[in-house]
Amino acid sequence: MTAITLPAPGKPARRSPRHPYRAALASARGRVGLALVLPVVLAGVLAPLLAGHSPTDQSDLSLAAPGTPGHLLGTDDLGRDLLARLVYGIRADLGIIALAVPLGALLGCLFALLAATHPAVDTAVQRAFDLVLAFPGLILALAVTAILGPGRLPVVLVIALAEIPAFGRLLRTGILVEREREYATAARVGGASPARVLTRHILPNAVDPLVVQIAVSLTVAVFIEGAMSFLGVGVRPPQPTLGAVLSQSMPYLADAPHFAAGPLITVTALVLGLSLIAEALNREIRR
Amino acid sequence: MGIRLLRRLPSALLVLLVASFVIFSILRLVPGDPATSLAGPDAGPETVAAIRDRLGLDEPLPLQYVHWIGGLLTGDLGPSYAIGGQTADLIGDGLGATVELTLGALLFVVVLGTAFGVLGATARRGWVRATVRVLTTGALAVPPFVTGVLLVLLFAVVLKVLPSGGRVSVLTAPDLGVQYLLLPALCLALPSAAILGRYLKDGIERALAEDYVRTATAAGVHPRRLLWRHALPNALPPVVTLLGMQTGHLLGGAVLVEAIFAWPGLGQLAEQGLTRRDYPVVQDLLLLLVTVFVLVQLITDLVHAWLDPRIRWE
Repeated sequence: MTAITLPAPGKPARRSPRHPYRAALASARGRVGLALVLPVVLAGVLAPLLAGHSPTDQSDLSLAAPGTPGHLLGTDDLGRDLLARLVYGIRADLGIIALAVPLGALLGCLFALLAATHPAVDTAVQRAFDLVLAFPGLILALAVTAILGPGRLPVVLVIALAEIPAFGRLLRTGILVEREREYATAARVGGASPARVLTRHILPNAVDPLVVQIAVSLTVAVFIEGAMSFLGVGVRPPQPTLGAVLSQSMPYLADAPHFAAGPLITVTALVLGLSLIAEALNREIRR
Repeated sequence: MGIRLLRRLPSALLVLLVASFVIFSILRLVPGDPATSLAGPDAGPETVAAIRDRLGLDEPLPLQYVHWIGGLLTGDLGPSYAIGGQTADLIGDGLGATVELTLGALLFVVVLGTAFGVLGATARRGWVRATVRVLTTGALAVPPFVTGVLLVLLFAVVLKVLPSGGRVSVLTAPDLGVQYLLLPALCLALPSAAILGRYLKDGIERALAEDYVRTATAAGVHPRRLLWRHALPNALPPVVTLLGMQTGHLLGGAVLVEAIFAWPGLGQLAEQGLTRRDYPVVQDLLLLLVTVFVLVQLITDLVHAWLDPRIRWE
C-alpha cells in the first residue's frame, strides 16, 4: 500500500497578510484596548514597588483626602493607604484571573473534546452545561462559598465553573462545523485515526473563537470577583481586591468619593479595554 | 401550540427533578449543622438532639427529600429554621420585591433596547449612531457594581434627587416606591438593554436590506411606516428569544443589584439563608428560581413559535 500524502489544509486567503491576532492588536480598537489594560496590569505586577505602604496597615488618618503627604490617593475609613490597597487589589484580581480563566477554558475544552467522541456523551455533557446555566451564577457563587467558606479558592472555582459551559459550547460548535469540511474528510480517508483528526486537524482550525472568548472571560472574571465581594463572599478581609475596596467605599460615597474613585476607574479601564480587544480579535478572525 | 407545549414539558420537568436533587445534596454538603447553630454555643447535647428531632433532621436523607417534595406539592413549606416565620411568607415577601425590581428592569430593557436598536440602525447623523455604539459597548462591558456606584454618585450624591438604597413597595406608595425603584432597575437593565439594542440593530439593518423593503419603498410607503410596520416586526423573533434569556439573566443579576442597593429581595434572602444554614428557605428558594428560569425558557419558546409561522407549522 502506498502512503497517500495530502496537501496541508490551506487557510482561506486573508485580506491582511499579517497574523490575525497581531493585526487585531494593531487596529485602532486593539491599540486603545491595550492602552487601557496594560497600565492596570503593570500597576498590579509592580504593586510592591509602587505601594510604599502595606495595604492592610491601619493608621489614625481616617478618610484622608487625596494628596495628603505620604498618601497620594488618600486613606480609607480605617486609615489604610488607598494607593497601596488599589495596586495590591489589582494584583489580587490578576492572581485570581490568571488561575481561574485558564482553568475554566481547559476544563471546557476537555468536555468539548469528550463530547466529540460519541453522541451519547455529547448529550450528557450538553445537559450538564444546561444545569450549570440554569442556576443564576451568583446563587452558584453563594452555594460554593457556603460549602467551602469565603476565601480565594471559592472565587477561583466559581469563575472557572462559570466559564466551562462557554468554552465547552464554543469549541463543540467549532468541532461540529470543521468536522464536515473537506480537509477533515480527506484526513479520515487518508487513514488518520479519529483522535488524530480531532487533535491535529480539526482543533487548530476551531481555536480562533476560543481566543476571543478568553478576552471576554477575563472581563467576566473581573465581574464575578467584584460581585462576590459585594455579596460578602469574596476574598477574606482585610486583603484588598478591586471589588472589595469598591464595596467598602459604598457607605462613604457622599463624604469621601475619592475612596471609590480608584477601583471605579481601574475596573472601568480594565473591562472596557478587554472588551475592545475582544471586539478587535473578533473582527480580524471573521474576515 | 398545545402539542408543542406537551413535547417540551418532559425535558423541563426532568431539569427540575435533577435540579431538586442537586439543591438538596449541595445543602447537605454545607459544613455545619443547623440544629447546633440554632441551639447556640451553650446548649447541651440534649437540646441539640431535641431540635434535631423537631426539625426532622434525624430522618434518613431520602426520607427528608421525600418530605420536602411532598410539602412542596401540597403547598406546605413549613417554618423556617433560623430566620424566623413561615418559609412561604419569607419567600413571598422576597419574591414580591425581586419581581418588582425585575419587571422595572424589563421595562427599561425594552424601552432602552428599542431606542438603541432603532437609533443605531436608522439615525441619519453619524454622531448619533456613534453615541449609541459607545453607550452599548460601555453598558455591556462595565459591571453592574460599577454602574451602580456611578448611578448613586450621580443621582443620590451630586444631584440628590433619588435615594441611594432601600425599598418602598410600589403597590403601597406608588410615588415614593418608583423613586426607590428607578436606580436599581436601571442598573440591572443596562447590560441587557445593550444586548437587545445590538440584536435589534442588526435585525433592522438586515430587514431593511430585503427586496420587499425596496418594493415597498418604490410603491411609496413612508419610511417611518416601513420601519415600524415592516422592518421591526421581521426583526422581532430572535429578539424575543433573547429577551427570554435576558429575563433569566435579570433574575440572576438581581442578586447583585439587591446587595448594592440594599433591596430586600430573594437574593438577600438567599444570602441570609445560606449563611444561617436555613435549609427550608434556601432549598425552596433555589428550586423556585430554577423553576422560573425553566418556565421563562418554555414561554419564550412558545412566543417564538407564535411570532414565526415557519416554526409554528413545523
